[in-house]
Amino acid sequence: MLFVEGLTRRFGSTTALESVSFDVPAGRMVGFVGANGAGKTTAMRIIMGVLAADAGTVRWGSQPVTDAHRRRFGYMPEERGLYPKQGVRDQLVHLARLHGVPASVARARVTEQLERFGLGERARDRLESLSLGNQQRVQIIAAVLAEPVALVLDEPFSGLDPTAVDEMTQLLREHTAAGVPVLFSSHQLELVERLCDGLVVLRAGQVVAQGSAEELRADTPLRYRLTLRGDAGWVRDVPGVTVLDLAGRSVLVQLADQGTASRLVGLATQRDEVYEFSRQVPSLAEIYRDVVLSRSAA
Amino acid sequence: MSAGPSGRAGSVDADRQQLAEGPAVTPTQAPETRPWALVAQREVMVRLTDRNFLVGTAVTVVLLVGLLLVQGWLSGRPDTTTVAVTDAQGADVVAAAEEHLADPRRDVTLEALSVADRAAGEAVLAEEEAEALLVPSAEGWVLVTEHTPSTSLRQAIAAAASEHALSGNAAAAGTTVEQLRAGGELAVETLSDGEDDGMVIAVAGVAFAFLFYLSSVMFGMTIASSVVEEKQSRIVEILAAAIPVRALLAGKIIGTSALALAQLVLLVAVGLVGSTVVGYDVFLPGMAEALAWYLPFFLAGFLALACIWAAAGAMASRNEDLQTTTTPLTMALVAVFLLGFYLEGTARAVASFVPVLSTLLMPLRVLEGDVGWWEPALALVLTLAFAVATVLAGARLYRRSLLHTQGRLGWRAAWSRSG
Repeated sequence: MLFVEGLTRRFGSTTALESVSFDVPAGRMVGFVGANGAGKTTAMRIIMGVLAADAGTVRWGSQPVTDAHRRRFGYMPEERGLYPKQGVRDQLVHLARLHGVPASVARARVTEQLERFGLGERARDRLESLSLGNQQRVQIIAAVLAEPVALVLDEPFSGLDPTAVDEMTQLLREHTAAGVPVLFSSHQLELVERLCDGLVVLRAGQVVAQGSAEELRADTPLRYRLTLRGDAGWVRDVPGVTVLDLAGRSVLVQLADQGTASRLVGLATQRDEVYEFSRQVPSLAEIYRDVVLSRSAA
Repeated sequence: MSAGPSGRAGSVDADRQQLAEGPAVTPTQAPETRPWALVAQREVMVRLTDRNFLVGTAVTVVLLVGLLLVQGWLSGRPDTTTVAVTDAQGADVVAAAEEHLADPRRDVTLEALSVADRAAGEAVLAEEEAEALLVPSAEGWVLVTEHTPSTSLRQAIAAAASEHALSGNAAAAGTTVEQLRAGGELAVETLSDGEDDGMVIAVAGVAFAFLFYLSSVMFGMTIASSVVEEKQSRIVEILAAAIPVRALLAGKIIGTSALALAQLVLLVAVGLVGSTVVGYDVFLPGMAEALAWYLPFFLAGFLALACIWAAAGAMASRNEDLQTTTTPLTMALVAVFLLGFYLEGTARAVASFVPVLSTLLMPLRVLEGDVGWWEPALALVLTLAFAVATVLAGARLYRRSLLHTQGRLGWRAAWSRSG
C-alpha cells in the first residue's frame, strides 16, 4: 500500500539514507528497527514530506504521495509536543481541521477520543497542566484524528507507561484491522516481535533485511536441538552437521539442509533414545541482532 | 495477535489483491477550510484570548483617550478674560477685541467689567476679579495689568482700539473706515491646496512613526515567538507533516498582520473620535488623504518585515535565542524610526520612496501637500515589490531552519541549509 523506493538523502558529506526501499502492505504492521542514527527518522520524515529526498519516491498504491495524501496520514514524530498553553480539546480540533476534517466532525471525534482515553474531564485544561502520561495520550489521539489511511509513527512507545503501551497497542490493532498500513520504529524488540507482521532493518542508511517474520526466518540457518538419553558427542562426526553447543546429552546443531535433519534424527533413533528433537526458531530480536551484528562485522 | 502471520495468510492475499486494484481508502478529502486560513484563525484566537495582549491594547487605548481628554480639557475649557473698563467706549473696545481673539479650537470670550475710575479698576485687578484694566488716556488707551499681559490679549485690544479710533477719526473727517482702507487689503493665497500647518504635520509625523515602530516591533515579536513556540514545543513537525510549510507561514503572517491592522484601525478610530469630541476635528479634512495613504503603507511595510520576523523566529530554537536572532530587525527598525525624523530636503524626498521608510515619510509628504498622486502610488508599489522579495527570502529561511531544533542558526547558515 505504502511503497518507499530508492530513497537517498545526504546531509553534507554524510549519507543518511542510501537507496532505501520497502513497503508497508494494507492492514499490516511493519516494525522499523535499527540503531540510533541508522536513518529511521530521516526516512519517516521523507515519507511525511517534512524532509525532501535527494533521490527516490514514496508511493501510495500506484500514485506518488502528495500533500493531499499526507493530510490523511497519521504521524507521530520522534520529537513530540503540542501547544503547551492551549486547551487540550481546542488544539486537537485545530489539528484535526488542519488534516481536512470538517469542524463539526472534528469536535465530535475529539470528544469521543478524549472519553476513550479517560480524558473527558480534562478537555478544557491547558495541555501543560496534564501529567506526562496524559500528555502522551493526547499525542496519540492527535495522530489518529484524521481517520488516517496510513500511520507513520516514530518511536510511538518510547516513554509510555505500561497502561499507555496497552492502549497504544489496542489502537494500532484497530487500525490494522481496518486495513490501515502501520509503520513504526522502535528499539523495543520484544514489542516489535509481539506486534509486527514484518520488519525492516536499517543499518547505516541501508536496508539490511526486510520481510515478514516468516520470510526473515526462512533466511536464517536451520538450527535444531537434540537431546538424547546418553552422550551426544558422536553428532560431531555426522556429515552436514555443525555443532554450535554441546552439553553432555544435549546438543545445538546447525544443518546444511532439511535432508540432514531427517538423516540426523534417523541416526539418533538407531543409536539411542531421543528425548527431544526440535527446530530452534529465532525470535525477531535474534534475527535483528544477527543481521545487524554479522553484517556490520562483515 | 502473536507474531504468527500464517493465521492471516488469507487476508494478506486479499490485501495484495486489493492493492493491485488500487488503494481501498481514498486518500484525498476536500478540505473544509484552507490550511492557511485555519492557521491564521488560530493565531488571532490565541492572541485575542491572551490576557497580556488584551491588557496591552486596552492600556494603549486608555492612554490615548486620556491624552486626548487632557489636551481637550486644557484647550477646550471656556477661557474668559475679564477686562475692567471705566466708560462705554472702553466696553466697545473690549467687545470688538473679542473678534480678534477668536480661536477655532477654543471658546474664548472677553468680558467688560464697568468700574467707576482707574483707582477702582486697580483695586479690582488686585483682587483678581479682572485680568486687565482699560482706561482712556490723552494718546488713546492704557492697558493696566498686574503682570505682563499675554501677547494675544495685547494684540487683540490694540487692534480693537486702533479700529475704534480709526472709525471715530474717519467720521470726523467725513469719510468711512472702508474708504480709508481702500486699496490696502492684503489677501493671502496658498498655491498648493494642502493645509500648511506645521504643528499638525509634526504631530502626525510622530504619530505615524510611533505607531508603525511600536506595531512592527510588537507584532513582529509576536510572529517570531509564535514560530519559536511551535519549534520549542516540537509541534512543528506535526504541523509540517499535515500542511505545507508555506501555508503555515502564510497563516501566521496573515493572522498577525490582520491583528496589527485591526489594532491600528482601533487606535486611529479612537483618535479620530476623540479628536472630534475635544474639537480638534478642524484638522481632519487636511489629514484624511494622508491617513488614507498611511493605512496601505502601514500594511505593506508590516508585510515587508513579517516574513523576516518569522525567519528570525525559525532560526532560534528556544525563546531565549530570540533576542539574538531578532536583533538585526529591531536595529533596522530603530534606524528607520530615527531616519524618519532626521532626514530633510532632498534626502527625505528620496527616502520617502525607500520601502519601509516610505511608510513613515510618504504619508507625511502627502500631508504637506507637495507630492503628485503618482508619488505615493509608486512608493507603495515599490514597498509591495520589496515585500514580495522579503516574503520569498523569509519563507526560504523559515523553511530551512524550521526543523533545526538544536541550538541557534545564524542568518547565513540558515540561508544555505538544504531543506
